[in-house]
Amino acid sequence: MCSHSLEVGIVLCTTLLVAACEREMRNFDPVPEGAQVGGSSGAAMVSHYERNAHALATGKRLWTWYNCGGCHANGGGGASGPALMDAQWLYGWDAASIYQSIADGRANGMPAYRGRIPEDQLWQLAAYVRSLSGLAPQDGAPNRDDALLTRTPESFSDKQNPERAQPSAATGQR
Amino acid sequence: MTPTRFHLRCLKAVFLLGLAASIGVCAADRDGDWPMPARDFANTRYAPLADINTANVGTLRQASTFSTGVSRGHEAAPIVVGDTMYVVTPYPNIVYALDLSKPALPLRWKFEPKPDPFAQGVACCDVVNLGLAVADGKVFVNTLDNQTIALNASDGKELWRFRSADPRSGEPRTMAPLVVKGRVLIGNDGSAFGVRGWLIALDLASGKELWRAYSTGPDREVLIGPEYKPFYAKDRGTDLGVATWPQGAWKIGGGTVSGWLSFDPDLGLVYYGTANPAPWNAEQRPGDNKFTSGVFARDIATGRARWFYQVSPHDRFHYEATNENILVDLQLPGGTRRALLHPDRNGYLYVFDRLTGEVLSATPFVRITTSTGVDLRTGELRYAPEKLPRANIVVRGICPSSAGGKNWQPSAWSPATRLLYIPHQNLCQDEEVMATSFIAGTPYMGAIIKMKTGPGSGNRGRVTAWDPVAGRAAWTVDEDFPVWSGALATAGDLVFYGTMDGWFKAVDAKSGKLLWRFKTESGIVGQPVAYRGPDGKEYIAVLSGVGGWAGSIAFDDIDARDGSAAGGFAGAIGDLKLRTAKGGKLHVFALP
Amino acid sequence: MGGLHDVQMPAGPQAAFLFELWIAMLVVCVVVFLAVMAALAAGIRRASPATDRAAPDLAPHPRIESRLRRLVGCALAASTVLLFALLVASFMTDRAIARLPLRDAVHIDLIGHQFWWEARYAPGDPALTFTTANELHVPVGQPVLLTLRSDDVIHSFWVPSLHGKKDLIPGRESTFAFRADKAGVYRGQCAEFCGYQHAHMTLYVIAEEPARYDEWAHGQRQPAVAPANDQQRRGLDLVVRTTCSMCHAIAGTMAQGRRAPDLTHLASRLTLGAGVVANDGKALADWIANAQKTKPGVNMPPHALPREDLAAITAYLGALR
Repeated sequence: MCSHSLEVGIVLCTTLLVAACEREMRNFDPVPEGAQVGGSSGAAMVSHYERNAHALATGKRLWTWYNCGGCHANGGGGASGPALMDAQWLYGWDAASIYQSIADGRANGMPAYRGRIPEDQLWQLAAYVRSLSGLAPQDGAPNRDDALLTRTPESFSDKQNPERAQPSAATGQR
Repeated sequence: MTPTRFHLRCLKAVFLLGLAASIGVCAADRDGDWPMPARDFANTRYAPLADINTANVGTLRQASTFSTGVSRGHEAAPIVVGDTMYVVTPYPNIVYALDLSKPALPLRWKFEPKPDPFAQGVACCDVVNLGLAVADGKVFVNTLDNQTIALNASDGKELWRFRSADPRSGEPRTMAPLVVKGRVLIGNDGSAFGVRGWLIALDLASGKELWRAYSTGPDREVLIGPEYKPFYAKDRGTDLGVATWPQGAWKIGGGTVSGWLSFDPDLGLVYYGTANPAPWNAEQRPGDNKFTSGVFARDIATGRARWFYQVSPHDRFHYEATNENILVDLQLPGGTRRALLHPDRNGYLYVFDRLTGEVLSATPFVRITTSTGVDLRTGELRYAPEKLPRANIVVRGICPSSAGGKNWQPSAWSPATRLLYIPHQNLCQDEEVMATSFIAGTPYMGAIIKMKTGPGSGNRGRVTAWDPVAGRAAWTVDEDFPVWSGALATAGDLVFYGTMDGWFKAVDAKSGKLLWRFKTESGIVGQPVAYRGPDGKEYIAVLSGVGGWAGSIAFDDIDARDGSAAGGFAGAIGDLKLRTAKGGKLHVFALP
Repeated sequence: MGGLHDVQMPAGPQAAFLFELWIAMLVVCVVVFLAVMAALAAGIRRASPATDRAAPDLAPHPRIESRLRRLVGCALAASTVLLFALLVASFMTDRAIARLPLRDAVHIDLIGHQFWWEARYAPGDPALTFTTANELHVPVGQPVLLTLRSDDVIHSFWVPSLHGKKDLIPGRESTFAFRADKAGVYRGQCAEFCGYQHAHMTLYVIAEEPARYDEWAHGQRQPAVAPANDQQRRGLDLVVRTTCSMCHAIAGTMAQGRRAPDLTHLASRLTLGAGVVANDGKALADWIANAQKTKPGVNMPPHALPREDLAAITAYLGALR
């Protein structure tokens, strides 16, 4: 019994360490040219951003830097732009749809950021937006704000069942 | 001629004369109209109609309704000229002309400007429209995507259209035009996006731009010349619209003209306030930041400034000065003064001499922690140093909040009671500012705010009847929610206003006692009006349909779990969601 | 990149006081150390050799012991006196450092970021204010009053030849003053671990004669020089229209970002990346293309730019004296 417990302990510790590595890994290389959104490589890439604490923290920093909070409110509660922390999604809640909203904008008033910020940052922002409503894995999501706290932290977000909301057909309003 | 024929001719003559007389009388009966949102150039919102009065208002009942088909914040005033009522909705800014001669209010015509949907994203405070104006047989209306359109009032045909910026630059338009002396005066919105503010006069007949007065920049663009004579030394100087800003910051400096315009026909001066400087984070723009957060008096013919008073220099709290300027003559200790009453966002009720811009008094009408008073000798606002925001530091207990002691919602003046009826709020806030980059088309603010209820018994709103000569309130009525609707005063000694949870109320103008109320289907943020219908009866009309900066909480796409949502209102009135839903309806009331 | 970075070569009064205190402490400690070592050696030499058979001598020796008692007592007294002396010296040094006269001080808001320094001169005066990064020019003989703030985590300001350390703590403001009495280039660095590139967060303080300083400040107040040729015009257009202006500001243009170093007079600075590389064309191009190669972990992302675009941007920024 005792003779095995050491090996078991080593294996357990190594497993834990390895599991935590991805969450903490910082990748400073640019996104490879031609990386596709769809397909298995795309899904892996999206998962990489969402599971990575550094990517989510960077997304949170960019959220402030690029004035996202000015329209969507500091914690994603919405103002002139819709709330991003609730379960209602006008254009889809998967990372690819959110990426598209940020990159190409939307007709009802979302500006387009493609060409103004690099590819990598578009994905970081999309991953962070998902974390606002608990859709990103919570162990990597940001914790208590350094700034004025206006909502419970992203890592505390209740996981909701996202659903598609329709803009009003007659007038195109939200 | 036989006696019968002579009598017939006499009768015909009498009949024709009578007809002519009655037409003449009808044409002159302007007392019964409401041709612009503020009713008159002095912005009194006072209807000289007394059929509905304190004795009988308890029997007031709904006579007609009309659904606008739109469900965002309905902030406009229904406009009545003759036997037609004109209503403009929030985005998409549909204009309805309703026939008042039938209780069913059938549609005479409808105009759909189809504004660019992108403009919805740059409207800081919901996609509202403060109203249209009717003059000279024409309807003048602004659309959210920066168009001013003139329509033929009888059939709704478009006469001309004036366009300014693409909304993608961050600029929308929500204010109500003022039509005076052959000119249509319009102002832009978008201080929250770093848009540089202006007031433009368009030619009424053609829609061509006659003059444009910017709120920042060199004197020749702000239309400051030798006739500019501000009362206080602090507002004097050359090219102040550049010198009081760091390098080039005036170009993205805000000061938009999104509020009310008033006009004195004797002096030929138009009065209005400019919005706050951009960004909200004041550290990025050291200096007084002229000519933002102040009141201008300009010559209507040329646009040149006669005087300017900066109400909140180097504003740190988003205390824009765009609130209404009500022109009344007051009996003050020194004699009769041609005064201007201005309830400002910073919480003071200013009484100006409208000839010179002198501040005769500035008295708090709400709790104020951001300043300790106005020095009447120098005109300076004395800020409280412990409440000044500094980057990355949280400041708590800022009163009034950035929505102001009072926001856009206009007050009404009764020449009978000599009181100013102010619908407003009782809110404070916590705030943190931080650096912000100017990225065209995105908000240029650098501030996080979370509002909360102000001091008192938990009321978040109030209606104050203010005596500007005595410098204090005659009475106040507390309301649960901010009173975001306009006020209406009538000769029947009544004051009408609406609450955000849908109650349309009539109170006694002398005491504030509630005399009548009616529950509408959605919160009221519109401007109530009183008019005389074609049948000679007095009617009261108001638009219901909650929204606006405060009311957007009620919409599905705001999550009040974030206290900074809806521009900070979620922290204070998140429960509005439980008390009302969105809507959009015209209500007309009359005595039975 | 050069620059004096030596506590033992003070160039200002505060560093001089600190250096004096340092010497005092060094002398005292050396003396004490030598005395202790001597006592130890004496003790070792004097001990009688122990043998297995002889029992330890436990009998009292009043003459020797009272001498020893006196010796220990004296040493104790001397230590206490010396410690107190050091305490007083330290207190007086602190007082002297804090008493720098501040008349006509140059006001600078110094804001720490990961991993660069933002300096806003004359922050309250719209006519005189300007912003630069990673390099402070100060007039010789005039006090400089810094207001220290941080945008993200705790940093620490330390220019050893001019003063001691003071932290930049987020959510707080503190003031710090110094004076450079000799012209020269003084190197400082962040002295509180602040992240991945803490070790490469250099700050240069360049002390110049007042006339030259005024000239420099005047130049910094001017808007950016206009592009001189088509390539530079193309560079300016790219800077404003694409990614650069999202974070950087260039006065006089529509690039008004506030999250990254001000580039209005980029070419007048000695280094890039807060002291990581010298400021020349090749380094600038490499930095723009992929700053992560030079300084991994900075907030500046890599850019996959076509060659002509990169050349245009580099040409424009490289001309911003």
